[in-house]
Amino acid sequence: SSSSGHSRMSAGGNLFTRGLRYLASKEFRSYLCSTHFWGPVANWGLPLAALADVKKNPEMISGKMTTALFFYSMAFMRFAWRVQPRNMLLFACHFTNDTAQLVQLCRFTDYWYVKDEAQRQQLRRQYEDAAGEAAAEVAVAEPKK
Amino acid sequence: MSAVYRAAIKVADRFVPAKLQPLWNHEAGPKTIFFWAPTFKWALVIAGIADLRRPAERLSLTQSTALAATGLIWSRYSMVIIPKNWNLFSVNIFVAATGLYQLARIVNYRRELEARN
Repeated sequence: SSSSGHSRMSAGGNLFTRGLRYLASKEFRSYLCSTHFWGPVANWGLPLAALADVKKNPEMISGKMTTALFFYSMAFMRFAWRVQPRNMLLFACHFTNDTAQLVQLCRFTDYWYVKDEAQRQQLRRQYEDAAGEAAAEVAVAEPKK
Repeated sequence: MSAVYRAAIKVADRFVPAKLQPLWNHEAGPKTIFFWAPTFKWALVIAGIADLRRPAERLSLTQSTALAATGLIWSRYSMVIIPKNWNLFSVNIFVAATGLYQLARIVNYRRELEARN
């Protein structure tokens, strides 16, 4: 097709149309209805929750749990790779989780072992102020009856 | 590193008693990730068992629903993958059961609150 700029005739159209055709195929639709899809989808809650926590107060981080989840996701990355059929969605989910947990581990280490008490106090006050402002906004939006 | 591992396994292979050989060499056995990943999950689940005693008003509805749903979906998933994984199946049945139990507690608690009001 002239729009793709290919010099040869591509078998079923350009990449875009072939991609759309695959999404409409029976094979893809049955994949969407299988646990090979929904299992990993359910698991995505874990990395999404971890990513949301990155913005929060580092005092909320549990060093033990973060380390445990780091190794847990490493194990499941390999599991997703070696299982039949190979599950790249699950792999991506645990890869993301490992990234998030590593970030949290670095924040934890920095907060407790690199920063000094004065810096921690300042950060504590910052988070308290932010929480206070958020509560004030809620109070303004919903006036007491 | 893998040479060290393979040598260690070769030695260990000789010490496994004959009766346990089929388990030791199973396709989802202790020499594979299909054993260790679910075992790790069991460790996390057992560590979280104390949470079952939390008072109903402190329980999160979304978390319990998520755990129940994940547990049920994964129980089925572990039966359609190759190799079939009973270890993974059992841990997810447990997760689903605790999720559903916590969900029941939350629903009961809220019903009681409404009845009182």
